[in-house]
Amino acid sequence: MSASPTFASLVPEFDALRRRFPPGFESSLVLPCLRRLQEAWGHVEDSDIAALAEYLAVPRVQIEEALSFYGQLRREPVGRWHVEVCRNVSCSLRGAETLLERLSSKLGLAPGDTSADGRFTLSTCECLGSCGTAPVVLVNGVYHENASAPEIERMIEGLERA
Amino acid sequence: MTKLIMTFPVTETSHTLASYRSRGGYATLERVVREMRPEDVTREVTAAGVQGRGGAAFPAGRKWSVIKLNDGQPHYLCANADEGEPGTFKDRWILENAPHLLLESMLIAAYALQVRHAFVYMRGEFDLPYRRLASAIDEATAAGLMGERILGSAFDCDVLIYRGAGSYVCGEASALLTSIEGKRGYPRNRPPRLTVRGLYQRPTVVNNVETLSNITGIVRDGAAAFRAVGTADSPGTRLVSVSGHVNRPGVHEIDLGYAFERLLDDCGGVLDGRALKAVIPGGISSKVLTGDEIMPLALDHESLAAAGSSLGSGGMIVIAEGTCMVRLLQVMLRFYHHESCGQCTPCREGMGWLHRIIDRIVAGEGRPEDIDRLYRISAANDGTTICGLGDAAGYATSGILNKFRPEFEYWIEHKRSRFDGNLVCRASS
Amino acid sequence: MPRIVVDGRAIDAAGGQSVIEAARAHGIDIPHFCWHPSLSVAGSCRVCVVEVEGRGLDIACNLPATEGMQVFTDSPAVRERRREMLELTLLNHPVDCGICDKAGECTLQDYHYAHNGAASASGERKVRATKFHALSDRIVLDNERCILCSRCVRFTHEVSKSHGLGILHRGDGSLLRETGDGAFARDPYSDNVLDVCPVGALLSRSSLYRARVWYLQPTRSVCPGCARGCPVDLWHRKPEWRLNALDPAKNRAIVRVTPRDDGRPEGPWICNKGRDLAALFERPRAMQAMLHGRAVPLDVAIDAAADLIDSSKTRIALVSSWASNEELAAFKDALGERFTTFVKEDHRPLPGETIEDDFLIRADKNPNATAAAALFPVRGKPMSAAPSGQPPDLVLAWGEGFDARGLPDGARAIVLDAYGHADHARADVFIPLSIQTERAGHYTNFQGVVRAFDACFDKPASVADAQELFAALAVGARVPA
Repeated sequence: MSASPTFASLVPEFDALRRRFPPGFESSLVLPCLRRLQEAWGHVEDSDIAALAEYLAVPRVQIEEALSFYGQLRREPVGRWHVEVCRNVSCSLRGAETLLERLSSKLGLAPGDTSADGRFTLSTCECLGSCGTAPVVLVNGVYHENASAPEIERMIEGLERA
Repeated sequence: MTKLIMTFPVTETSHTLASYRSRGGYATLERVVREMRPEDVTREVTAAGVQGRGGAAFPAGRKWSVIKLNDGQPHYLCANADEGEPGTFKDRWILENAPHLLLESMLIAAYALQVRHAFVYMRGEFDLPYRRLASAIDEATAAGLMGERILGSAFDCDVLIYRGAGSYVCGEASALLTSIEGKRGYPRNRPPRLTVRGLYQRPTVVNNVETLSNITGIVRDGAAAFRAVGTADSPGTRLVSVSGHVNRPGVHEIDLGYAFERLLDDCGGVLDGRALKAVIPGGISSKVLTGDEIMPLALDHESLAAAGSSLGSGGMIVIAEGTCMVRLLQVMLRFYHHESCGQCTPCREGMGWLHRIIDRIVAGEGRPEDIDRLYRISAANDGTTICGLGDAAGYATSGILNKFRPEFEYWIEHKRSRFDGNLVCRASS
Repeated sequence: MPRIVVDGRAIDAAGGQSVIEAARAHGIDIPHFCWHPSLSVAGSCRVCVVEVEGRGLDIACNLPATEGMQVFTDSPAVRERRREMLELTLLNHPVDCGICDKAGECTLQDYHYAHNGAASASGERKVRATKFHALSDRIVLDNERCILCSRCVRFTHEVSKSHGLGILHRGDGSLLRETGDGAFARDPYSDNVLDVCPVGALLSRSSLYRARVWYLQPTRSVCPGCARGCPVDLWHRKPEWRLNALDPAKNRAIVRVTPRDDGRPEGPWICNKGRDLAALFERPRAMQAMLHGRAVPLDVAIDAAADLIDSSKTRIALVSSWASNEELAAFKDALGERFTTFVKEDHRPLPGETIEDDFLIRADKNPNATAAAALFPVRGKPMSAAPSGQPPDLVLAWGEGFDARGLPDGARAIVLDAYGHADHARADVFIPLSIQTERAGHYTNFQGVVRAFDACFDKPASVADAQELFAALAVGARVPA
């Protein structure tokens, strides 16, 4: 298996990153490179695990462990629009549970599921540091704070048309 | 009230280098690299008695003093910007609004600790805080405030941002370093201390963003000025993040020792004029206090410790009367279960066990002995784990059970909540 | 050298030792799962808890022994904490000892009986995980039994360096897994994880469900797979558990091979070839003595061999590098003066076998070439001519790997071998020998280390013991009729 075109196109960026870190910090580049690969491709491809292990000269197991450990990293694609609802204490105190129910019925998805057409994934997530502006909904990583159900539903409708 | 960090009105441009310099920014760094020896800086920080603002309140100067200068090996400094403790969002305020204050402070700390490369470990979800800090680093580098031969001196230092990827436990200092090493974030056993063997086995200081952000002021104005604020045992100010059932949630800078009642007033009081049921004073890992308990308290380490809780991360969650504490604990235990790294046995097994029991109680299948069992699992995690996550879940659990046990007994007996399972604050009828 | 007191007994800890190491060095065993003397400290099982006077409870594996420390390994607080940790360890364990190969030598089982003993404390549904997951074609993993001690993972990181195993996910969903690139399946030392696993999570496919461990006994042996000569235990049925009703071969089977820890600096590890010794030993045997391919009784063949030796003039011997020190010495004593002797390479690397690495595996695939070469230092091409210049008229070939096609014209051949080969029928005299598991002896490895092996079974009556054979062939051994 050879590296994906995405990986190949990012190598110059990885090289630059490598120069910014102190010598001997190759292992440290695992997370930033995985984040960048996912940002570019939506998830991390199997073939790129091998390519990254070789590029950084780190054991492949380190990359596989990291991919499975960190909540934000994934090896499988998600929907084009990834909607995440914080369900931690402060957001729950400000209505996150109702918001999640409304979103779930609006999208026809249980948390964790992706729509058949691949457009939407609905997830829950843990505290995002938006407790003062709770509840918070992430859409493709962008914070929507003080989220009210009608407002988020309108936004979803906008995305459905997009 | 004294402001040491939130000293300026937030505007569209107040986070920029130009704005920071207009407020006297980087003058302290300049004086440090020109006039001070590293040990002078550490002495001042130690004298100031600034305690860690991340949760454990360990004196920063004591941590720094462990670093041996001129020992021929690299030292590292890491700002803990993981800010994962639920209810806490004050470091985010600094990163978004005062990134140069953090950077100047880190450079001063790096000078004192002989650090060539310093890191800011930032939680992966933070977007604006990341962009703000990244552009501040670019500005500082372009202005010769960072990089090689800072301000014409012999001091070289770069600050790098390291972004996490979704793991609460990485806010624990040793897990944070393991994460910067590009591995999954397992915490490490002590000994060795991180100041002896930290990042890549080198001496490393990990300080919270807010802790570090106090350094510039301490060095600029002196330890005595810092100690003049707050209480004798808790000097300085704290950024407290107030969330939950208050009218105006947000970050407030208070003198340590500030009255809770005044802080609640500053936040516009409890939502919808409801009575105060409880407050979790320092992030969900601190023990809950009832409204009656916290109302007369001064917010400092000593008073909260005496009341059986702690100021922790300064994340205050205000809970109105009518909120179901069984459901609240369920939300917390779901979180701890989700975030347990799985490395050590008591937390790996205990978190799931706690979660399954509370889920069963909420499903109406609770048994009277469940309450004792929740206590026992909490106790089995107290001081037995590699990091504090297991302890924290135990504190949260026993804290809520101690204060609100009848709500649990009610649910187990009647198979339903005494408060209709409410977490949101419904308008009083 | 710090002196510490463990349960009232003063012991001297070596510099840098942890409490668990110091205690162990003095025969005090502190219960533990994740700690292993040959691996780094994980400190994750939390079972090795001890009480230190003035400091409370801590884990002994990560606690440096310091001067004057008073340690209690069985105080009431320690017992209670240990019981709690065992309760948590067992929480999601299936407790299926009745069908688990590890039962009888399982640390979790032993500790449960010794230190907990209570019925399950949990009324919750257990966390389900994968069963019968193939980590490789050699090892099967039961994730429900796995207690995530990470010993196997650390083994692949620190000892075999294949980095072939990891722990994926987190919390109680953590799963031991092999990496996607097959590094574990290629790890020539992978089977060592079977021994470091303290529970029944990792099991060998070759011995799966073949015998309860309490039916087996170990016999001290030495791996003949290469010149390293690793110390091993060969496990076979105890005589009192012999299965009379079944195929008798089952009672003579090597069920498994484990490393024998004799404290050697390489550590308590062996390679997978050593694990597969049963297959190596149990190849088709030569059981019948022959003259020119015609079956004869063993004593007839021995007589014929003696006659051949007496009647020949230029004699060449090719001795086995699989022979023990004792057998080689017996040959030299009995026949050394009558033969020009060369050492034969019985085994060469097989296709696909790791030839050599920087850990244990040596390119010389014979256990005793060093001792043989020391006794018989003759160099040169054996078959072309003896040092006298005369072509040999008798060749004695001992052990495997003899190629009859290389025999000089007109030379007679005496072949001694334990394993079957078509060429045996072409020998003038063929005498079958015992195998390593049927005799005791020593091998000298390439470093000069001498290790002993014992007999697991009696030799079959139709094969010869090499030492006895050479004594019988010695000059004057035959009583004139």
